[in-house]
Formats: sequence, C-alpha cells, structure tokens
Amino acid sequence: MKNEIQESVGILKADKGANKFKGAEEPSGVLKGAQNAWDMLSEEQLQKHISTGSSDLNGILGGGIHCKEVTEIGGVPGVGKTQLGIQLAINVQIPMDYGGLGGKAVYIDTEGSFMVERVYQIAEGCISDIMEYFPYHHDKSSSGQGNLQPERFLAGIYYFRICSYTEQIAVINYLEKFLGEHKDVRIVIIDSVTFHFRQDFDDLALRTRVLSGLSLKLMKLSKTYNLAVVLLNQVTTKFTEGSFQLTLALGDSWSHSCTNRLILYWKGNERCAYLDKSPSLPVASTPYAVTSKGVRDAATPNCKRVRIM
Amino acid sequence: MDQDRPRVETGRVLWSDGMDLLQDAAERKHLLPTGLEGIDTLLGGGLRKGQLTELTGQSSSGKTQACLYSAAHVAARHMGAVLYLDTSNSFSPSRIARILDELPISFIKEPKDVRLKRVMSSIICESVFDIFALFEVLNQLEVSLNNKVNNGGKKICLLIIDSISSLLAPIIGGKYSQGRSMMISVAMILKKLADKHNLSVLVTNHMVAGNGAPKPALGESWKAVPHIRLMISRDRGSNICTATILKHTLLASGRHMKFAVPG
Repeated sequence: MKNEIQESVGILKADKGANKFKGAEEPSGVLKGAQNAWDMLSEEQLQKHISTGSSDLNGILGGGIHCKEVTEIGGVPGVGKTQLGIQLAINVQIPMDYGGLGGKAVYIDTEGSFMVERVYQIAEGCISDIMEYFPYHHDKSSSGQGNLQPERFLAGIYYFRICSYTEQIAVINYLEKFLGEHKDVRIVIIDSVTFHFRQDFDDLALRTRVLSGLSLKLMKLSKTYNLAVVLLNQVTTKFTEGSFQLTLALGDSWSHSCTNRLILYWKGNERCAYLDKSPSLPVASTPYAVTSKGVRDAATPNCKRVRIM
Repeated sequence: MDQDRPRVETGRVLWSDGMDLLQDAAERKHLLPTGLEGIDTLLGGGLRKGQLTELTGQSSSGKTQACLYSAAHVAARHMGAVLYLDTSNSFSPSRIARILDELPISFIKEPKDVRLKRVMSSIICESVFDIFALFEVLNQLEVSLNNKVNNGGKKICLLIIDSISSLLAPIIGGKYSQGRSMMISVAMILKKLADKHNLSVLVTNHMVAGNGAPKPALGESWKAVPHIRLMISRDRGSNICTATILKHTLLASGRHMKFAVPG
C-alpha cells in the first residue's frame, strides 16, 4: 500500500512540474520544443550524409544515407543487401578529416549473415581508397594515419546477434539506453528487420501492432540521437495488375514505416538500385557493383545515366 | 441581433442561423488551397476550415507531397501559420524551399529570399512518435490557442498530421478496445480544435490489404470521423497521381481528378 502511495505522489509531482510549462506564455512559439522550417532548413544543409561507396548510388540518394531518417533497403536474397549494410557500417567511421562522419555503427544481425572476414576486407578496401583519394593528407597528421587501420574500423562496430523476435524487440528497447551512453554512434543497421516476423507469428494483427510500434521507436531514435537507421528487408513477389511485381515483405502495413526506400534488384547480370520512396528526391535508378573492396560504382562507364524506371 | 443570443463562457454564440452561415460561406475565406490543381478543383477550392480532411493512399502515392504542398502554399499566401506534426521524419525543408521556388514571382510581390524566410518561419514542425505524445501536443496547442499565442503574429490555420495512422497502428486491433477509444478521443479533440479555432486539419492514412482490393487503414470506426476523405494513387513510375473522393459533406463521391506532382 505504501509503495502505491509513493508512486502516486511521484506522478503528481511530475505532473505538477509539467503543468508549470503548459500555462505559461510562449513568446517564441506555439509549441514548446517545436522548430520552424527555416531553422530546420539551415540545420539540414549542414548535415553530412553517409556514403554508400558508389558515387552513382550516393547521387540518387541525394549524397548518401541521411541521418535523422529511417531508410529501408529491400532486395531479393543474394543481391547484396548485407554487403551494402557492412559497407555503410564501415563508411560511417571514415574520419571527419577525410570527409566522413567519424562515427560508430550498431549492427543488429538477425540472420547471421555478418561475416567478419568480409568486414575486414571491406575495411581494407575503404582505407586503400582513402589513401588514394587523399595522398598528401595523411602525411601531415601522423595520428590520422595511425587511425586508419582495419582493426579500428572493426572495433567501431557494435554487433548484436539476435535469434528471435522477442530478442529483436528487447534490443530495440535497449538501444535507447545504449545510444544515450554511446553518443558517437551514427548509424544503426538491422539485417534483416522482418526475418523473425515472417514465420512463427500466428496472429497477424498482433504482428502489425508490434512492427508498427518498433518502427515508431526506430524513428524516434533516429531523430533524437541524430543517426541514420537502415533496415534491410526481404522482397517477395506480389501479383497485381496482371503481373508479378516485387514488393517488400510484410506488405502494406509495413510499407509506411520508413522515410526512404531503396530497392535492389538484378537487371541481367548487373545489380541496380531503385529509389522507391523519398520525401525530397525524385524516383531514380542506377546500377552499382559489389567488388572485393566493397560496394562501388558499376564497372562500365556508360551506365552513368540515371533513368526513371 | 447577436447580442440577444445566449453565449457560452468563451463568448461564442450557441447557435447561428442559416443566413449567417451562408454569408460566411459566400465570403469564401474558409478555403485553404493546397497548391495541387487537381486536388483543389476536386475539393471546390481547397481544404475547408473547421473540417477534418483525410488523405489516404498506398505507400509512396503522394500523401506526404500533398501535405508539403499544402503547408507551403498556405504559408505563402499569408493565410496563417501551419503546424506540421510528422511521424516518419519525412518533413523536408529543402523540398518546401523547392516548392516555393516554383511559385510564380508575380503571384507574391516580394523578393524570393525574403519570401522564403517569411514562409519557412510560418511553418512549425514537431515530431511525434507515439499516441501519448500526440495528446500532449494537442493539449499544448489548445492551451496556446486559447491564450491566443501567435507565432510571430500569425494564427495557426492549418494542422497537418502525417501520418496519424502510424500513431494509431500499434494500439488498434486486438482484444481490448482501449486503442479504438483513444482513436476516437483523438478524433474528437481534432474536430473540436478545428471547429473552435477555425483550423483546417489534414491527416494522412495508409492502406491495408482488404478482401481483394486494398482499403484505408484504421477500420470502420474511423470512417465516420473525417468530414472529407480523399484517396490518392500514383501511376507506377510517373508523377501523375489520381485523387478520388471517398466521402464529402457537399460533393458527390466517386469523382476523381488527375494531378501532377512536379519533381
């Protein structure tokens, strides 16, 4: 009984504190904590984007993956979603001196597709590209050269392996505390977000509710901690308008849970990416390639044009 | 004649007669154009003040673009401030700036950069990520509207919630009806705000799979809530969208119109 009284007193105190703000005159604006679009525009222009490794792909994404937004990347198995995820986890760590964000990455692996040897290889590829691009820079800053080791890049990825949907829900709930303690994380990658929800879930309505809740939490994390959230998703075929079309798994109820959507697909022997949803960019597609160094531009130079699908 | 009528505490008359309402309507100050020609024509001029309009459509059909266009056009035409509640981090200031760029210069007589700053300062954006945060924001909004707090001298005339269905999706469905009752609470608060302070409220909804064709989310109880329901769809791979009236207090349902969303 005593605990309940204490709890009630705590709630009343908290509410009284909040009420002080409610009645007060707000000279700066209608809502406490809201921003106007002019301030947001200046902030947006200062934002750095996370490079994907391929300049064509960066082009259709408006410079790269945006922070403060949730980007969903969907594709058939084997097209290279995990490769792109790993590339982003490495590229976010490129130091600011070399044009990157200098942040860390959180990688949440649901399928076990994270191969450390490949990550090492991609880190080496990234470093060799930086050295090539900035040949004189690293001479000046000796500490900078020391930082460009593949081991440092590997150490900058916080890896979570989860094996069930309850663990997935738990880790996303835990992320808020984790990100509060590790403020240098600038990207959270979940590979793949819908894997554990496709089988084993009998109650589809419950699945929709849980996933909607998850996506709102991720949106909030990305906004609060100014990081990019990248969700990798499987693709299935849907029969509409008389033909089979590729759509993301979990369909319509999940489709509004991201800010941007990129779909990776095969065109003959080439990998292509198609920007399906974005609040500020037009739909566009471009080819790209996955090499031993990681994700790069497509090999043939005449594929530079960006065409509407 | 107004003085004879009984008033409530706030000073508003309890009832008005048809002639007053007709005079109000004739002055036509109660329509907020969205800036997208097809939608404006379909709605007979624009979004109506005092009413709740819903835009529903499948993913990437143009709902957020329609919201951004409405915000930009209403702010640009000096009609008042706009409050944009965003649930998916889709509010893009650079997109608003590009939309304003497209406006004809003769339309508003001021230099572009002055106009840009003025308009952008009238659009307030707040992110909400759960239903309780939405209740809190609406409560604060009501308090500040009651106290007649203005944003730089301009009263809020348009409230956009993009999208309200993502806030309601985690709570509706299932055995317990708290979710549905919260949805109806939000609906009542929004309609009360719209009516009392003469705002236009624009919300977006997504679609879910139904028997055969996709249908708007939020179920049967929500169908009665908005005054006006529009469905948008986009032709695959193009910029041309089609808007269809699902429900309207004045116009016939089923009418549709195509409009283009410039890249």
